[in-house]
Amino acid sequence: MIYLINDIITGALIGLLYALVAMGFVVIYRASKVFNFAQGELVIIGGFIVWFTTMQMGLSLWLSIPLSLVLAGLVGYAIERIFLTKLIGESVFSMVMVTVGLLILLRGLVLLLFGPAVRPFPIIFPLKPLFLGDMLIPMNLLIGGIITIIAAVGLSWFFNRTRSGLRMTAVAEDHLVASSMGISVKESIAFAWIVGAILSTIGAMIFLSGKSLTFLASDIGFAALPVALFAGLESIGGLILAGVIIGIAQSLTTNYLDPLIGGSMGSVVPYIIMLAILLIRPTGLFGWRTIERV
Amino acid sequence: MDPSGIFPTSYRADRRVVRTRWQLLALALFAVLMLLAPYLFSGRIIAVLNMMLISAVIAVGLQICTGYAGQINLGQAAFMGVGAYTASILASKTGLTFLLTIPLAGFSAAAFGFLFGLTAARIKGFYLALTTIAAQFIFHFAILNLPSTWMGGSNGITVPPAELFGVRFVGETAQFYMNFVVASIMVAGAFGIVRSRFGRAFVAVRDDDVAAGIMGINVAATKANAFLIGAFYAGVGGALWAYMIRFVGVDQFTLFHSIFFVAMIIVGGMGSIVGALIGVFVIRIIQEIIATVGPNIAESVSFLGGDIVFAGMNVILGGVIALFMILEPKGLMHRWNILKSSYRIWPFPY
Repeated sequence: MIYLINDIITGALIGLLYALVAMGFVVIYRASKVFNFAQGELVIIGGFIVWFTTMQMGLSLWLSIPLSLVLAGLVGYAIERIFLTKLIGESVFSMVMVTVGLLILLRGLVLLLFGPAVRPFPIIFPLKPLFLGDMLIPMNLLIGGIITIIAAVGLSWFFNRTRSGLRMTAVAEDHLVASSMGISVKESIAFAWIVGAILSTIGAMIFLSGKSLTFLASDIGFAALPVALFAGLESIGGLILAGVIIGIAQSLTTNYLDPLIGGSMGSVVPYIIMLAILLIRPTGLFGWRTIERV
Repeated sequence: MDPSGIFPTSYRADRRVVRTRWQLLALALFAVLMLLAPYLFSGRIIAVLNMMLISAVIAVGLQICTGYAGQINLGQAAFMGVGAYTASILASKTGLTFLLTIPLAGFSAAAFGFLFGLTAARIKGFYLALTTIAAQFIFHFAILNLPSTWMGGSNGITVPPAELFGVRFVGETAQFYMNFVVASIMVAGAFGIVRSRFGRAFVAVRDDDVAAGIMGINVAATKANAFLIGAFYAGVGGALWAYMIRFVGVDQFTLFHSIFFVAMIIVGGMGSIVGALIGVFVIRIIQEIIATVGPNIAESVSFLGGDIVFAGMNVILGGVIALFMILEPKGLMHRWNILKSSYRIWPFPY
């Protein structure tokens, strides 16, 4: 029984980590109507920035973390300026393909710059798990989960309640309409990518803390994808619920179903949930329903 | 575009693929050149041509699905994989002739593609791209986790060579002719499909699916058909691949390969069969250059080792996709069309 509870708690916390990475997808989508396939690559670039500032430059964590976040924001801004500004008002296909191009471009660049070597990642959150009675809670995931919830509540409030957040929401509706209402689409997209890159870097810190860093870690981007779709691409608050559900489903499958069938069902379960939700309710749990008119 | 005053006077003339004598001559010359290629070029070039022919089949399928019907498909490599696995299992277990296994591979891939085409009936845009990515993951999962006696698991499957009337298709030259014949049939078929009622329905759905529905086109069926046809081509290409490499493994059909195919049709030009062929040519040439130059560079920057080819390929292809989307979204074919219309109507401006 205690194992079951432990699995559920760990699963939920991993789900919250997915939700944090997925928040990158959603924030970029909510403010620019671009679905960023290269989210996993942003995570890995964030990881390398953190590694560079702490391990290479030897800064203390209190200095390197803010510096990394600033650098990550700059990277996000640079990507937006180079690739995305020129596509404002273009078709969905162009946007999707540019981010798919970015996905392999960034992966290649990371590989060219840093090579395939395995690197130690700094220990940012304490490694010692938290014991509550018999329950064992991984500390980094717990802190990460708290950060996720704070970020979700904050960003959710920003997008739904503040004036500038609502402007970005208009951009996500339609670039042309938004710009004809006097909203700067450029600014909105730039903001989206900066926040997206910063969220990815935070995700990288939680995910990699005390582990090793290779370019393969970018797979978390694809692991987070089902969470973003399950919640619905426009809902930030919904990510928490979706992340927890998918995390628990994955954890339970890995621990109870996989030993029976001797396979890695756990890694596919999120995708099966994603396919099911896309078929039953394409907009996800809390996404917007759009009505099409001719 | 023809000069003003010249226009077809019958549907038959309007639908013609080969419109002028010069085109017929160019086509004939090209066919002769291809048939003589094994005698003209070295084995290395024939091997590259083989890769191009196989990629051409797959890219033409993707062109129909994405370029004509507008359904984003990032799972083409998975569909190709289904075809390759079907052909290799049939060939190695039942010993069927390749005349049967290649079409059967196409049909099984088409069935798999049709499943994902059904989702396209409900969702569109990047949501669709996501489900095709899911196809990619599910394919991997199925191969690696089903009992290894079925699909070979992570060991892959060895494929017996194709054989017809006692002639074994081994070696570059024999395979070249086999690939050339199959690719020619498939490309000719593609020209037929896109000029037919189905092809026109694809274009209508691509341009505006709501409007197409109002005009009486069954939008859901058209989208599913697009996937079916695209996946059929991928399956046939996969079967050819299996017979050429003589070994299939799950690593040959990843998301990256799917992206390579998409890069081909983007570079060539969306919505044009010839464009897909041009894209295949350009991308495969780039790949070949990197594969040749890469190891030399790898010696000077040794810490990268063998990964430089993969990394360089990714950087260049990613850059090419992004650049084309930003600068020339209509692809090389569009440039060629501009050139063509200008020399056709010369010396008049229009």
